[in-house]
Amino acid sequence: MRLGAVGLSKAYGSVQANRNVSLAVKPQEIHAIVGENGAGKSTLMRLLQGIEQPDAGEIIVDDVPCRISSPRQAFVSGIGMIHQEFMLAPELTLLENLVLGDEPVTGPLARIDWNAARESGDAHAAQAGIEVDWDRKAGTTPVHIQQYVEIIRLLRRGTRVLIMDEPTSVLAPKQVEDLFDLLRKLRDAGTTVLFISHKLKEVMALADRVTVMRRGEVTFSSGVNETAISEVAHHVIGGLDLEQQDPTTGEVSSRKADERVLEVASLRAPAIERSHPLKGIEMFVGAGEIVGLAGVSGNGQSELVECLVGLRKPSSGQIFLEGRDITYATNRQRRDAGLGYVSADRRHEGLALDASIEINSIAGSQRRKPIRRGKIVDLGAMRRTAAERLSKLDVRFGSLRDAVRSLSGGNQQRTVFARETATDPTLLVVSQPTRGVDLRGIAAIHAILHSIRAKGASILLVSEELEEIIDLSDRVYVIADGRIVGETSGDIADVATVGQMMLTGTAQDG
Amino acid sequence: MAEAATPLRERSIERLEKGFGLVFPFFAALVVASLVLLVIGKNPLLVFSLIAEEAFGSTNRIAATLSATTPLLFTGVATAICFRAGVFNVGVEGAFVVGGLGAAFIGFALPSSLGILLVPIGFALAATVSAFWLAVPGYLLARYEIEEVVSTLMLNFVALGVTGYLVNGPLLSEKSGNNVTPLIHESAELVRLIPPSTLHAGFLVGLFILAAYGFWIRRTPAGIESAIVGQNRRFASAVGISIPATIILVMVISGIVSGLGGASHALGQLHRFAEGFSPGYGFTGMAVALLGRNTAIGILFGSILFGALASAGTTVQLFSDIPLDIVNIIEGTVMIFAVVELGRIALFRRKAVK
Repeated sequence: MRLGAVGLSKAYGSVQANRNVSLAVKPQEIHAIVGENGAGKSTLMRLLQGIEQPDAGEIIVDDVPCRISSPRQAFVSGIGMIHQEFMLAPELTLLENLVLGDEPVTGPLARIDWNAARESGDAHAAQAGIEVDWDRKAGTTPVHIQQYVEIIRLLRRGTRVLIMDEPTSVLAPKQVEDLFDLLRKLRDAGTTVLFISHKLKEVMALADRVTVMRRGEVTFSSGVNETAISEVAHHVIGGLDLEQQDPTTGEVSSRKADERVLEVASLRAPAIERSHPLKGIEMFVGAGEIVGLAGVSGNGQSELVECLVGLRKPSSGQIFLEGRDITYATNRQRRDAGLGYVSADRRHEGLALDASIEINSIAGSQRRKPIRRGKIVDLGAMRRTAAERLSKLDVRFGSLRDAVRSLSGGNQQRTVFARETATDPTLLVVSQPTRGVDLRGIAAIHAILHSIRAKGASILLVSEELEEIIDLSDRVYVIADGRIVGETSGDIADVATVGQMMLTGTAQDG
Repeated sequence: MAEAATPLRERSIERLEKGFGLVFPFFAALVVASLVLLVIGKNPLLVFSLIAEEAFGSTNRIAATLSATTPLLFTGVATAICFRAGVFNVGVEGAFVVGGLGAAFIGFALPSSLGILLVPIGFALAATVSAFWLAVPGYLLARYEIEEVVSTLMLNFVALGVTGYLVNGPLLSEKSGNNVTPLIHESAELVRLIPPSTLHAGFLVGLFILAAYGFWIRRTPAGIESAIVGQNRRFASAVGISIPATIILVMVISGIVSGLGGASHALGQLHRFAEGFSPGYGFTGMAVALLGRNTAIGILFGSILFGALASAGTTVQLFSDIPLDIVNIIEGTVMIFAVVELGRIALFRRKAVK
C-alpha cells in the first residue's frame, strides 16, 4: 500500500472528528473519499498531511508505519495536496509559480536558471499531454490551467501521492473530462491519486476505489466496479432514501409564463477590475417559473446577478420587476418591491459570520413590523421572528445569540433561505445555492426551492452545477462571454447540449 | 454531532473573553508597571495602593476621579459609535475642541440676561458645530471613499490651528494674558455636584449619553444596522442597508456627542476655552472604546479606569517621590494591551474556525 492509515482517531474538544479510521490506497490507484460536510474527510487529510497529529493510530507510507509531523515531512515522503482554492500567487507568472520554493539555480551566485525551469515544466506538461503558456500571470489564467500547473508543480517536486480536495468544483463539464484524462494518465505513469468529492457520478467515472466516511468513521469501502452509485449514496447519507428526494415534480399547473415577473432588456454593464462585462442581456422570468442560468464560471453571471439585485450599476439597458422599472432602484427598494436574494458568496455576502444567528435571520427586516414598533426595535418580536423563520426551514441551532459561524454549511445556507423567503418575495434570485453543501443539504435546498415555487414565487437559479439546473428548471438560459447564447426548455435540456453551449458560446439547433 | 457541543462552549468562551478583554490589559499594565517600579527600587504594592487611595480613597478623591472621567464618557461613546460601524474615526479630539470653543463662545458672548438658557444654547451650538465638523469626513468617505483615518486625523490639526488662532486673536480675553477666551457668565456654568471638587453636572449628561448610546445600539433599527455594517459591509448592502447613509449617520452622531462633551468641559470644568483645552481626551476615548468593546458598560468602566489614573496621577507625585511617569506608563500599557488583546482574540477565533 502506498499510503494508508490504521485506526486513526482525532478529537477536537468533545467532537470526535475521526474515529478509528483505516484507509488503504494502493500504488497507482485513483482513490476517492466521499462523505457529507463534517464527515471527517478534511480532518483525515490534515492528518495525512501532517498538519494535525492523530490522538491514536498510525499512518503508513509505502507499507511502513511512519509519523508525519509536518506538511514538509509529508512532502518529503512524496505526499502533496492541492487545495480547493488554488494556492498560486496571482501576480507571478505560471513559470515563477512552478518553481516557487524550489528554484533551479546556476553558478555560485545562485541565479535562477529559467531555462532549466522551463524545460522541466515543459517535460512534465508533455508527459501529461497538455500545453501551458508559462509566461502568463497566474491571476489571469483560466482555473483549469491553474490546476494543471499546481499538479505539475507537485510532480516536479517528487510527489507520488496526489491529494486533491474537490478538484472539479470549479470546472466546466468538458474541463472535468480533461482533468480526468490527465489523472488517468498520471496514474498509468505511476502516480497515486487520492481525491475528495461530493459528486458521486464523477467518483464512479474516475475512481478505482471509493471510501465513504460518515460521522468520522469509514463506513464503506469498495472497488468501484463492485458497487453501484445507489449503494455508495446510501452509505454517504446514512439510510436516507435518495429516490424520495427526487426533485422533478412538474406540478406547476398554475404556470402563467407570459406573465413576466422579471424582464431584462439589452442590459450592459462595464467590467470592473477583473470582472466580466455584460454585453446586452435579454431574458425574462415568468410567473411561477424556475429559470436556470447556466454558464462556465466567470462569464458574467455574477455581474448579472449583482445588477439584478442592485449591487452594481448597469451602464445601459433596463430591468423590470413585475412591470416596474427597477434598473436604478436601490437594493432596499427592490426588496420592498418583492425581490429576494440568496448570494453565491454565503460567507461574505449571504451572512455576516460573526454576527448572531438572530441578526442574520432578520437582517433587512429591522425596519418592518413587527420587529420595529414605532421608532424602536421590539427585542421580543425580533427574537420570535427569527425563531419562527428558522424553524420554518428546520435550521438546527443552539442559541439565537450564537455566531452564525458556528452552524454547519448546510444550516448556514438554510439560514440565508429562511431570511430571504420570509417576506414572500415574488422573485428569488438564487446564486450557487448548493456550493459547499453536503448531499443531504443539497436535497433539502432543492426541496426548499420547490416549495417556494409552489407558493407562487418565481426563481432565477444561477448555478455551475449543470445537473442541478437541468433537474430544477422549467427553462434554461446559457450565458457565455456576457451574452445569453442559448435558451432551452427544461424538458428537453440535457447536460450534453447545455454543456456544449456553455463551452462553445453558441446555441445549437434542436 | 458537533452542533450540540460547540454553541455551549463558544458561549462560555465568549463570556470569558468579554470580561477578560477588559481586565487583562489592566493587569498586564500592572505587571509592566511593577517591573519598572522594581527596577527603580520601589515597592509596587505600596505604589499601587497609593494610587488606588488617591483615586478612590475619599468622597473628594472619588469626585475628582469622576470629574476626570466625565470627558471620557463623551469621547468614548463618540469613538465607539463609529468603530462599531467599522468607521475608524480618529477625529473625536478635534470635534471635542471645536465644540468646546462653540459652547464657551455662547457662554461669554451672549448677554448674561439669558440666564440658565445659555446652557442649552451652548450645548446646542457645540453639537451643531461638531456634527458638521465630522459630517465632512463622513461625506468624503461615503461618497468618494476617502480614507477616514487620514481625513479625521488631519482635521484634528485643523481644529487645533483654528481654535488656537481664535483664542489668540478675535476671542482673546482682554483681562488675562493669552491663549484663553473670557470666562463665561456665571449663569452659563454647570452646577458643581460635590464642591469643592470640580465634578459638575456634565458628568450626569455623560451618563445620560452613555445610557442613550446603550439603548440606541440595541433598540433602534439604525443602531442595529450600523453594527451589521461594521460586521460585514457586503452583507449589509446585500440586505438593503445603505452603507453611505450609515457612515454619515454615525459620523454625525459622533460629532454631536463629541460636541456635547466639549460643551460640558467648557461650561462645567474650565468655564472658558483655552489653548490646550483637551489633553488628548479624544485619543484616550479611543482607548476607552477599544477597552470597553464598544459596549455601554465597557465604556463606563474604561472611562472610570482612565479617569482614576488621571486623577491619581496628578496628586500621587505631589505627596510622594513616585514619578508621574509611572501612571503614564500604566495608561500607555493599558492602551497597548487593549489593542493587542483584540488582535489576539481575532487570531484565536480564526484558528478555531479553520
